[in-house]
Amino acid sequence: MVRVMICGDLAWAHKECEELFRGIADVIRMDSSNRDEFFAGLQKGGKYDGIVGIYRHNISADYIGIFDKELIAKLPSSVKWIAHNGAGYDQIDVTACKERGITVSNTPGAVDDATATTALYLVISALRHFAHAEQNLRAGKWKSGHKAGNAHDLTGRTLAILGLGGIGLRLAELAHAFPMRIVYYSRGKNPLAPDWCEYFETDRLDEMLAQADVLSVHVPLREDTEGMVDEKMIRKLKKGTVIVNTARGKVIDEAAMIRALEDGHLGGVGLDVYPNEPEVNPRLLEFPNATLLPHMGTETCDSQKKMEIRALTNLLDYLTKGQGSDIIPEHKQ
Amino acid sequence: MPPHVLLCGSLSWAQEECQELFRGVAEVLHLDSPSRDEFFADCKPGGKYDAVVGIYRNNLSRGYIGVFDKELIAHLPSSLKWIAHQGAGYDNIDAQACKARGITISNTPGAVDDATATTALYLMISALRHFAQAERDLRAGNWKYAHNAGSAHDLTGRTLAILGLGGIGLRFAELAHAFPMRVVYHSRNRNPEAPEWCQYFDAERLDEMLTQADVLSVHVPLRPDTVGFVDERMIRKLKKGAVIVNTARGKVIDEDAMIRALEDGHLGGVGLDVYPNEPNINPRLLEFKNATLLPHMGASTGDTMKKMEVRALTNLRDFVMCGTCADIVPECR
Repeated sequence: MVRVMICGDLAWAHKECEELFRGIADVIRMDSSNRDEFFAGLQKGGKYDGIVGIYRHNISADYIGIFDKELIAKLPSSVKWIAHNGAGYDQIDVTACKERGITVSNTPGAVDDATATTALYLVISALRHFAHAEQNLRAGKWKSGHKAGNAHDLTGRTLAILGLGGIGLRLAELAHAFPMRIVYYSRGKNPLAPDWCEYFETDRLDEMLAQADVLSVHVPLREDTEGMVDEKMIRKLKKGTVIVNTARGKVIDEAAMIRALEDGHLGGVGLDVYPNEPEVNPRLLEFPNATLLPHMGTETCDSQKKMEIRALTNLLDYLTKGQGSDIIPEHKQ
Repeated sequence: MPPHVLLCGSLSWAQEECQELFRGVAEVLHLDSPSRDEFFADCKPGGKYDAVVGIYRNNLSRGYIGVFDKELIAHLPSSLKWIAHQGAGYDNIDAQACKARGITISNTPGAVDDATATTALYLMISALRHFAQAERDLRAGNWKYAHNAGSAHDLTGRTLAILGLGGIGLRFAELAHAFPMRVVYHSRNRNPEAPEWCQYFDAERLDEMLTQADVLSVHVPLRPDTVGFVDERMIRKLKKGAVIVNTARGKVIDEDAMIRALEDGHLGGVGLDVYPNEPNINPRLLEFKNATLLPHMGASTGDTMKKMEVRALTNLRDFVMCGTCADIVPECR
């Protein structure tokens, strides 16, 4: 029977994993405590020898590091599929994978609901000043310090979504219930976007930014998106606008964002991600209207189980059908 | 001489609108009695409020002249016919005493629906996802190390039970339906405006509703018969791990019973915007990890507060000009 590897332990879907692969593949657990040990296990006669596919979770980076060029080069030539658990796969060098004939899949749809809910929470907190209000309450100050004049209802305000993929679209649906006005910018127009989502192309990006009350970031981290939300983009927003980020910290130029908070150009931020997690720039802790979550985007058992099953199913589909359904864009034929 | 109206509690947002509304309709007096006794003196025949026919009232006036209890109502000038209260909850006015004196009360029901329902949504997300707790951990330098995804839940597909489906409850139902959550409700009567997807449970089936709820959100007004409405018995009918959200009034819940249920783990968390003895908070509440505690922020945005002021002032003008208005409270209809 062929062998597949679980690289980064499952938290919720143990039973489902057994059932999915029963009679189809032997499931081996990656239990190396460091990178060198892992590399040794991959060699001929090593405990991971002969594996044809890998289920991968970011937690494995704590032991063997990220899937960079070096690690990819050490994988046995039998490996043809990496089923990553998560929407963002910036910890995998997908170009190196492609060169070696390895296809990468992720779990795009499974994270949409939980991540969009996180973004909605941050939008509410940033516009209404709720996180700060709770800090005041816990400091025994009730609501003194709260200025209702700076707090705003969501209804009728404009939410600008940067990157309308699955998560952005889900946030659009939740915000539309108020309704907020939804505008978006993506590399291309999303054919799944409903009529009430107005598309702005690159030529009109500045026009969109000038209308936004909230800018919510949903672009994946790639070389060309690092620092995409820069000084210039932030200054195109009107004074008092808030920025929400549930994508990746490095998509925003953090220094530019902090300057805009310092001089009052931004009315607040709601952040779930940071450039150098788990570290958080201490300067961020000082702004009253900053709601700061520790990358909670998909931290529910419901969504995590859904993601584990989705990633395992991609791996299984590779074995039984030749390919999984969630191939990343870079690897699509 | 135009009739006199009195503003009991100053306007924060709608000064201009006030001038426009009453120009040529009534002379607007501003409460400047520094104490209850002086207010009573000013209401006497020959006093400066002698001929007042209508009062605009907000809760700020409490700090000067106290609540509109039986005693205060008895001292109002005999010319007084109308009290236009600014706010949804009018438990600071003795409605029975007003009725006995032939005074009609209005409130501003619709104006607070959106902002208060948004507050409830925030508290529900925080309670199910453990977000407020996560932010405290981050700010204490502990990132998400203590977070247990097993006790955090997505909203989608879960059951929201609404206690009291008036304007705020209905608005909250709409926002939760976007996920969708399943929405069930109990009110004294079926709400004819409730959409089909809101399932009604009458008093006989209240227990049945409670056992199905993942979230119980309280939206009943505070009246003598609703003090302690959510009691030990009701809380224990909820399934283990359910969360309670309260944006109505603190006294509608038996706080001791709620705290016991948090202590023994029966409740998975609470999201509270209101407390029995504001601005004082039971310090015990601050100790529970999964308690999100806001300082009565329900309608605290410039947008909504202005909407409420304009609505209450419009009610007062309609009283003066037409002898009735759109928002007469049920007790006075």
